[in-house]
Amino acid sequence: MIVVVVGMIWLAVGLTSCNGDDSSDSPPPVAPETVAGIDANGDGVRDDIEVYIDATYPVSTEGDTNRALRQFARAAQVTMIDASEPAPSVAHAAERFRALECLMARRPGDFHVLFVELRARLLDTAGRSLAYLQADNHVRAGNVQLLPADQWVGTCL
Amino acid sequence: MGLALTVAWVVAVLFVDRAHAQIAPQPACQNVMAPRTTVFFVNGITTTLDDARLNAGKLELEFLNRLSAMSPAVQANCHVFSLNYNPTGGEVNDFLEAAQQQLDITPTRFWSELEGQSLFTQELIRAALEGPMTDLNRIDASTIERHAVAYREQIASPSCRRVLIVPHSQGNLYTNAAYDLVFNQPPSPPPGAIKIVGVATPAQTVSGNGRYRTSTTDVLINAIRLIRPGTLPPNTNWGISPLLLSPTYSGGHSFIGYLSADPSRTHILSDIESSLTELAAVNPC
Repeated sequence: MIVVVVGMIWLAVGLTSCNGDDSSDSPPPVAPETVAGIDANGDGVRDDIEVYIDATYPVSTEGDTNRALRQFARAAQVTMIDASEPAPSVAHAAERFRALECLMARRPGDFHVLFVELRARLLDTAGRSLAYLQADNHVRAGNVQLLPADQWVGTCL
Repeated sequence: MGLALTVAWVVAVLFVDRAHAQIAPQPACQNVMAPRTTVFFVNGITTTLDDARLNAGKLELEFLNRLSAMSPAVQANCHVFSLNYNPTGGEVNDFLEAAQQQLDITPTRFWSELEGQSLFTQELIRAALEGPMTDLNRIDASTIERHAVAYREQIASPSCRRVLIVPHSQGNLYTNAAYDLVFNQPPSPPPGAIKIVGVATPAQTVSGNGRYRTSTTDVLINAIRLIRPGTLPPNTNWGISPLLLSPTYSGGHSFIGYLSADPSRTHILSDIESSLTELAAVNPC
């Protein structure tokens, strides 16, 4: 009889602990961040990056900077997504160079600070960082031309 | 009236700065017959392709800012800026993994402080960087070959351009090796057709009796000098620049930092002007 009671208690505890209703103890598991992340409006810029750019460089007062940073963010996003493909990686490196030339034209005094801050946010996971570096491995500088400074402003989209 | 003009001038200056007026082309580049000089930037370790593009851009911007005050011989040339990339993705990858796994540094912090003192002073990180910066056997022969070919192409007909190389950090090792390759294999270009102005160099020489600038506050090169005492001594500094207190530049090694702080910026641009003046006297082909 004692064995039966102990068995029932054990079974009850076991079933309770396996019913999946443990929300009061721990949060549901978080899905790992993908390289692409979330781009709800489909404009090519990750949502969290869009929020950062718009909050830091509002279109109303710093429209040129806002657009230049979006141009780079868009190019960096496709760079990471296509990182395993050699030919697109070369094309995307050229797109990033044009975006950086635009940024240098818009912010000649502090472009590097803006770039470092934006890139740190773009590459906020190991997967994104590795994808960015993987894409670079497909490119040699000879594949990507530099435009002279007097043409940089013309690279702004 | 005078006050109104002054106010108008100030407003105009502010407006121009805000609107970032388009950068004017070099006067000599308007003349197709003007002699050409190609200015190569060669990047060092921990430099991604994007960083290299921005470093070359900073070099061009600072050069253009000073060009009108440079010697007539320099102003008579059209300077074309180019990049001889030294791929360092593997090292950056190793650096990132070490920072994450052993120091628990997030990717965001890593990218923010890639050239900062907080990372450079970590023994683990310094060890990862010092190997490629001190061991000549670890520099890539195919990259040296590719760089040498690029210099030869610039000098040879039909380009007939003089070449100035501005390498940063480990790029100095590649530049010395590529220079030696160009001049030690026939056909050798005219003597003096290539000049080097090194920045933050871990090397013990500059090929071709070139110039260099290393800062007293360069944490990485100072650490390398402890291992290899023959490393060229410091001969410039960043003054009391606030950059040295910022997470991004506090390692004192950033190329952008060298070209933003003074007197290092003035020293480097003076070396460039002197080298370009010497190059102007050379007929490349």
